[in-house]
Amino acid sequence: MRKRFGETVAVDGISLDIRGGELLILIGGSGSGKTTTLRMINRLIDPDEGSIAINGIDTQTIDGIVLRKNIGYVIQQIGLFPHMTIRENIGLLPTIEGWSREEIESRVAALLTLVHLPPDQFMDRYPKELSGGQQQRVGLARALVMNPPLLLMDEPFGALDPLLRRQLQDEFIGIKEDIGKTIVFVTHDINEAFRLGDRIAIMHEGRIVQIGTPRDLILNPADAMVSDLVGSDRLFEHIASLTVSDMMVPASSIISGDLPVQSAIEVMIQSRSTVAVVRERAASFSVLLLSTLLQRRDEVKTVLEATDPPFFLSMDVSLLSALEEMKAASVSLGLVMDDGEPAGLLLPDDLISRLV
Amino acid sequence: MASNLLLTPIFQHIVLAYTALFLSIALGIPLAILALYSRTLQRIVMTLSNLMQAVPTLAVVAIVVPLIGIGFWPAIVAIILRALLPIIKNTWIGLSSVDPAQIASAEGLGLSEWEIIRYVRLPNAYPAIFAGVKFAAILANSVAILTAMIGSGGLGSLVFEGLAGVNMMKMLSGALPAIGIALFLDASFSWMERRLLPRSGESGLE
Repeated sequence: MRKRFGETVAVDGISLDIRGGELLILIGGSGSGKTTTLRMINRLIDPDEGSIAINGIDTQTIDGIVLRKNIGYVIQQIGLFPHMTIRENIGLLPTIEGWSREEIESRVAALLTLVHLPPDQFMDRYPKELSGGQQQRVGLARALVMNPPLLLMDEPFGALDPLLRRQLQDEFIGIKEDIGKTIVFVTHDINEAFRLGDRIAIMHEGRIVQIGTPRDLILNPADAMVSDLVGSDRLFEHIASLTVSDMMVPASSIISGDLPVQSAIEVMIQSRSTVAVVRERAASFSVLLLSTLLQRRDEVKTVLEATDPPFFLSMDVSLLSALEEMKAASVSLGLVMDDGEPAGLLLPDDLISRLV
Repeated sequence: MASNLLLTPIFQHIVLAYTALFLSIALGIPLAILALYSRTLQRIVMTLSNLMQAVPTLAVVAIVVPLIGIGFWPAIVAIILRALLPIIKNTWIGLSSVDPAQIASAEGLGLSEWEIIRYVRLPNAYPAIFAGVKFAAILANSVAILTAMIGSGGLGSLVFEGLAGVNMMKMLSGALPAIGIALFLDASFSWMERRLLPRSGESGLE
């Protein structure tokens, strides 16, 4: 799926690719153009310049009504119709499209089950009889009724209290896995963005400042605004989304096992490293602490005798689980391997200073 | 013989009032819908409707004569001029005062303008439309008495003839059925209102 945006007053020269099946967050303050961008996707607003294509088809060539019937749309105010029951609200589009009563009934029941509302309890109630959270679930069910491949959500959880918002986010993560749709999600809440987004596009004054995965944004913020927004200087807040490779120290020098002790000490001091990786044989590695080497410099003849057996970690393991494993094994040093070669070292002591 | 003398004016009165009322509904609701989409039409319709209300009913009835003469149809026109206002105004207010979130979500779902009117705006406007039609029905009923002066026949003829001939019985034979019809209209519209209007869960237990 490919989309390009031209200019409007609110959105100033945006170009954006949305990938099939991803949840893309558009985040920014008010007036950043995020909602305008969203509403251009289903042609509630037409761009003054530029074009939007879905699966290679320019949306300008599709009738707006037909397009919107095939794109789910959920808004913060929900907008359920108060004079219709939940069944009628969800079943409105199928009714217009001429589905049979049984088809509508079973579709509505399936959707209510999906959003965790027992159909027999909720089908025939009116929106006013439901709580805000329940109404928003019905809003989601209604948006999914025609089984659209693309879902647009404009701050759907923005009006809910924090506790309920969190609960609905958790549920939504599960529903998202079930339905496997491409979702564009507007929010101004960075925590929500991190919880839900596969990728996050940060918008400011009608432009996209940066787009990337949560980790991209945290580790490589494009500017001070992004860094401030995502809290790059408070990495510990994001510890749950970091992996071993984000926090390892690259293995700059690999020492050969047969290097004389004195040369090894010189190499390590010169490169200011307290730990080194030692290659014992072709594909066999161990780790060497400078302190150990200095202590035992007189008893050992080769570097090999002063090495410790390595604790192996892989690159893409989450940082937290790696630390737990290391704690369980009582080791203070992890050797990170990538494709059979040492890629770096994970040093919990050094980690703390980098996180805070 | 006596009953025929009374039944014919009652029948004439009802035909007169209801024909005018139905024409007012048939005219008023579409005009109100069109006024949603045209600012110009909205201004024209609202100005005319308000103007019509400012002019005394007797003057409305009188002004019709030099324009289209006397008889049944001029009387219908006079009643419509009176009954149209509450219908148009209430319908327009009902249609345009829908919660913007409902319109936004209806547009987002992919409803066409007409589908939004049919499934969202009209149901929201029903209570207001109903109140307007009820008021228009009662207006039509009273104007239909006055139009006897321009040859519409009906109960008004009995009232005016009774007044002119100081015949109290004749006057009352016109006035009492007219009052009866008005009370019946009010009661039946209230009943229909309760029966037909969609409930929205506020009405509590049911």
